[in-house]
Formats: sequence, C-alpha cells, structure tokens
Amino acid sequence: MNQQQSQQQPVSIQTLLPDHDMAYTVLADLKRVVREYATAATESSCQQIRQMFTQLTNDTLRMQGDLYNVMQQQGMYSTASPALRQEVDKQLQQQQQTQQKAQQHLQQIGLAGGQQNQQFQAYQQPQSQQQYQQ
Amino acid sequence: MMQPMSAKELEYIVDSISNEDLLLKQCGVVATSATNQAIKQTCHQMINMHQQHIQTLVQSIQQHQQMAPSQPQN
Repeated sequence: MNQQQSQQQPVSIQTLLPDHDMAYTVLADLKRVVREYATAATESSCQQIRQMFTQLTNDTLRMQGDLYNVMQQQGMYSTASPALRQEVDKQLQQQQQTQQKAQQHLQQIGLAGGQQNQQFQAYQQPQSQQQYQQ
Repeated sequence: MMQPMSAKELEYIVDSISNEDLLLKQCGVVATSATNQAIKQTCHQMINMHQQHIQTLVQSIQQHQQMAPSQPQN
C-alpha cells in the first residue's frame, strides 16, 4: 500500500477524519450489513440463496468482531461498564421466575413431564443450556 | 435442485452488492490513510473479503440467469 501521508497538505485526512472515526464508520457499516444479511437469509426461499446469505452473515460477523477487537486493543473503544451486582441479582431472580412459569405452562398444557418439583426444574434445565453455551 | 430466484431475493442481492462495494471503498480509505498500523492492516485484509463477497453475489445472479422466466408468472 502507498505509505505516503498528506502531512504537507494544509488539511490532512487525519485532521478531516481521525483514525478512530474512520475505523468506527467501517465498524458501524459492518454491523448494519450483518443485520441485512441475516434478514435476507430469513426471507430467502431458494435454498442456495439462503445458504449464501447465511455464509455472508457469518463472514461479516467475524470481520466485525475482528475489527472491534483491534479497536479495543488500540484503545479506540472504551470497554462497556459492567452491570451492577444489585441489578444482576434482581434480573436473575426475575428471569428464573419467567423460566419457571414457562415450565409450569408447558406442564399445564401437558407438554412436559410434571413429576419433578417445579422449583427445581429451573436448576435442572441448565444441562441442556450448557450445550448451547459451549 | 435449483429454483428460480424471487424478485425479493434479487433485490437483496443487489442491495448487498452496494453494501459490499461501499465497505470495500471504506476499507480502501482506511488501508491507505490510517496512521494506526493495526487498524490499517485489519482493513487491508478485509478488502479481499469484500471482493470475494461481491464475486459470490454476482455469481449467484449468474447461476439463476437461465431459470428466470421472461414473462411475469401467475
């Protein structure tokens, strides 16, 4: 690539658009394109075209992730602030209830084995969840 | 078995080529003008990917060219 910089010109491209802004415009577009590819995949009826859009979604998602990592390593992206413990505790409790109610609902309509104590079902489900996380 | 592409699929493909074309050019600007070497290199590498994507998208139109009806259906 051409290494020549425009330092001698009165207004360099660096002044017009600093590195982090330039990188951010690419990152923002990659994010947008990932969404468009995913939408296109869901709305394709031809199997080959659906496969193509699925592949393009994955490729673009990977590029977006790579660029994000580089930007973060270069200090161009401040790390997101962590969720507070209090909020995590609260949400965990609420969402476990949601999960439990969904389980109860399935039992009521006869779609889940109802012998186990309902309170413990939420804790036994993670066996299958772990498979998805790994 | 290949089926004809829908009008909607064709539109998505055409929009996608515009997107890839824009990304290709943006990456070209970053690859030539950024001072940060890591950013420069990452965008340089992405240029190849966007070129490949454009090629894939254009080929998909080509592959469906013969199957496309010349009269509106139904």
